[in-house]
Formats: sequence, structure tokens, C-alpha cells
Amino acid sequence: MSKDIVILFGTESGNAEFAAEDMAAAIESDAEVTVVDMTDFDVSEFSADVFYVLISSTHGEGEVPSGARPFIEALNSNAPDLSGVEFAVFGLGDSTYEHYSRGSEIIEEKLRSLGATRIGLYGRHDASDGSLPNDAAVEWVKDLFATL
Amino acid sequence: MSQLQPTICIVGSGPSGCYLAQFLIKQWPEAQISIVDRLDHPYGLALYGVAPDHHGTRAVTKQFDRLWSNPNVQFVPNVEVGVDVSLAELQANFDIVVLATGLHQDRKLSIEGDGLPGVVGAGRVTRLINGHPNETADDFSIGQNLLIVGQGNVAIDIVRLTLTSPDKLHGIGVPANIIEAIHSTPIRRISIVGRSTCSQAKFDVAMVRELANLTNVSFSASGLASVSKGDASDPKEAAIHDLVANSLAGAQRNVDFYFGWQPTAIAGSAEVSRVTFSNISRPEETLIFDTDTVITAIGFEESDDASIRRNQLKDSNSNIDVGLLSAGLYCVGWFRRGPKGTIPANRVDAKMVSDSITQDFQNRDDLGFKKGRQAIKQLHSASKS
Repeated sequence: MSKDIVILFGTESGNAEFAAEDMAAAIESDAEVTVVDMTDFDVSEFSADVFYVLISSTHGEGEVPSGARPFIEALNSNAPDLSGVEFAVFGLGDSTYEHYSRGSEIIEEKLRSLGATRIGLYGRHDASDGSLPNDAAVEWVKDLFATL
Repeated sequence: MSQLQPTICIVGSGPSGCYLAQFLIKQWPEAQISIVDRLDHPYGLALYGVAPDHHGTRAVTKQFDRLWSNPNVQFVPNVEVGVDVSLAELQANFDIVVLATGLHQDRKLSIEGDGLPGVVGAGRVTRLINGHPNETADDFSIGQNLLIVGQGNVAIDIVRLTLTSPDKLHGIGVPANIIEAIHSTPIRRISIVGRSTCSQAKFDVAMVRELANLTNVSFSASGLASVSKGDASDPKEAAIHDLVANSLAGAQRNVDFYFGWQPTAIAGSAEVSRVTFSNISRPEETLIFDTDTVITAIGFEESDDASIRRNQLKDSNSNIDVGLLSAGLYCVGWFRRGPKGTIPANRVDAKMVSDSITQDFQNRDDLGFKKGRQAIKQLHSASKS
């Protein structure tokens, strides 16, 4: 991967952050990788020179997690032009609930509506069996960069 | 300046304590952290307070499992602070001590009859269902007519778990004697009564929607502000309307929601037989339930026999808002701010307290000289000898 990579996580219980750190460790030998909390990310800094990997959980009735709320609000109010920005998405959810994995989809739709392009397979993890997303996320991100 | 390597003792290994350890490690990767628990196994409420069928919520313990592979982090089992070691001894041996012991006693109704046999707290029931080592089921059983007081997520857990089949309970690890206590007399009716209006009730919508998966159950509700789902502007009301509207005719078990009532008296001779409620907005109106089992789910409080109490540890420098009790002594989670909020809320709390601790210690260069984990071994073995 020639571009630098920023892994943006949106979390409620910390699982997305934990998986983001494992993803970073799995790919950092091949690229410059930074892990950033969506809460701390300035949406005016989106750049076409960086590849973004988004990982987000789902909260309550299919909402974004509280850690992604300021990010979505900033995208809504600032509406930055994201033309040329490329990203991939890994969504966390629990299929016991009605709005499985909806949180990441809200973010994905928002970024595309602002002109960004989603690359690769949409990654998912279902926590209904009590497993953590880390292994699935690491496999997914390795496959993603193997094909880019 | 010398490298900051404080020795830290966190008392309590529930979600707040473990999250705090995670955040402190990020700030101070070389810090030596001991996490003490009175039980032989870590994670507290994440194991004994979360319903065993909510695997996704419990997955957080797998996140915490990673703590123990860090050579700077040590789990110290079977040590109750205030009993096996004193808080003063910990403070003498660690630069920083943080209390994360939670609040685990069921809040009492504090009305006539609340101590009658057959009245039991939901926290205790949840611990029994989760096989807590210090709970015994001797006097616990659920009859055919269960009354639940309170309508938060813990109350909804109790509805769901008590109506779950013995096979499924067995499959999620519920002890056999507890399955027997729940199912020996099949439940016919659960009345779930709360003070609030439906829109103000404490349950999460997803929790109520999950109840639709139960089989052979018919739902009803009274005290709603709207007549049907079409009139309901509130998502909680809409969820209750859906449950009621989708109930199958001929179900042999009933769950009835009552909104806007507070209990005034519990009656019974040898055990509970009747509970009286008064309407919140029309106090002269009463509602009487004949029942054989009452489960109270109205929150948690400091235990009557707690060995450490937050308010006794405050001094003139305390700033509870940021978790500071006194120099080098902190508090986090429910023990800090009271029994409000879910596991993720305690993560936010732990982040805040971690920032507060690291800020207080950022310019200190006299850290890392206390004995830390060596001391705890000595203290512990001394107390057991």
C-alpha cells in the first residue's frame, strides 16, 4: 500500500478500538498506520492521500455508537467535499437485535454521500456468539490490503 | 526527569477497574498495575451482573483478558480490602490506589413487608443465575405468579430469563438448582410494575423488542399515553404496542406491564402474598396484586456490610467529579458516581478518571519507589497466616 493508512474507530464498549489496534499491528509492517478515535478526528483533515479503514459498532436501535456521534455530527454540519477519498468499512453488530450492524452503515452512507469511494468487501462481525471482532477484523484487513 | 513508573493498585476487577487499567497502560506503558478482587476470578459485574444469554455484552471480558498477558499487570485474587488487607496498607505500598468496587446490593423498597420471604432483589437473582460463588439459593424459588417492581433493563432481563426454557437456560450455563428454582412451579403470570410513564421508563427499546422472541407468552400493558402504535410518538411506547399487538392468542403465560404505580405495602404471613400499589398521578387509586414471588429491580446501593465506603474516605481535598478522594487515592465507576449507567458508561468514566490521575502525576518524579506488587504478596500472606 503506497498511501498512509488511518484506522478510524467508533466505539461504545471499547471492542472496536481493541480490534482497530489489532488491525494496525497486522498491517503496520507494510504501511504507515495510525489509529484514531472518531471522537478526536477533525473531518476537515480527510485527504485523498490517505486510505481510511473505518470500524464501528452499533448502538441501541441501530444507531452509531456514542464514540462516533461527534464524527457524524461534524460530517452533517460541515459537509466536507470527500471526492477522491478512499475508505473501507468493517461493521460490528449483534444479530440478536433487529438493527444488526446498522451503525457502520450509517457512517458508510454518509461518507459516500459526501463523495468518498468505498473500496473492497464490506467486513462484518456478529457478536451474538460472544466472540470478539478482532480475529475477523484482522483477517479482513489483511485480505483487503493483499488485493489493493 | 526520571521516567514515570508509578505503582498502581486498582481495587475491583469489574468493567470500571479493567477499563481504567487499559487507559492507564496507554498513558504509562511501564507502570506496574495490580488489580485486586475479593473473588478468585476477575470481571465482577461483567460476569455476574450481565444476563448469560447476552453474549455480545459479555464479550467485553475477552477484551479484558488481554490485560493479563501484559507483564506489568497482575491479577490478585481472593483479597478483600478492609478485611484481608487495609486500605492504609495499600496506600503505604502503592503510589496510586483506585477504588472500583461498584455498588452491588439491591436497593430496598423500604416499605412495610419488604423483608418477607418471597421478596428478593434482582441483583441477587442475576448473581444466582450466573453462578456467583458467594450466593446461595436456599430460600429462593419462583412461584406461578411473579411480580417485578421496576422497569429497567435488569427487570427486563428477569422477565426474559425466567420465561426461558430449562433446556436453553442449561445451554447458557445456568446452574441446575437455579433452573429448578425458576421452573419447578411453571410461571403463569408476570406483572411488571414501575413508577414512571412508559416513555420515561428505564428500559432500552432493544431489550423490550427482544422479548418478542419468547414463546407461549401473551403481553398486555396499561397506563400507556397512547391507544395504539399509530398514536405513539415515543419509541418505548411503540415497542410495547408492538409486543402487545403481536402476542399470540392462547398463550399460557402472560406478561402485563403497568406504568405509573408505586408500591405502598407488602402483605403476607409466612411469606409474601399481596402487594399494594398507589397511582403516581392519582394517589387515592390503588392496585392490588396477589402474588407468591416479588423481585425488586429498582437499582443498587452500597452494601450494609461494605468494608469500604466512599463517603468515609472523603477529605477536604476530595473532588469526586474527577475521581479524587484524597492524595493518591481515587475512585471510579459506580463506586464514584452512583449506580447509574451501563458498561460503556463506565468506560467513559474510567477514561475521565485515568486522565485525572495522569494529570495529577505528570510532574511528579518521585514515583515508582513504593513496593507495589511485592508488597501485596507479603500483606496477603501475612493476613492469611
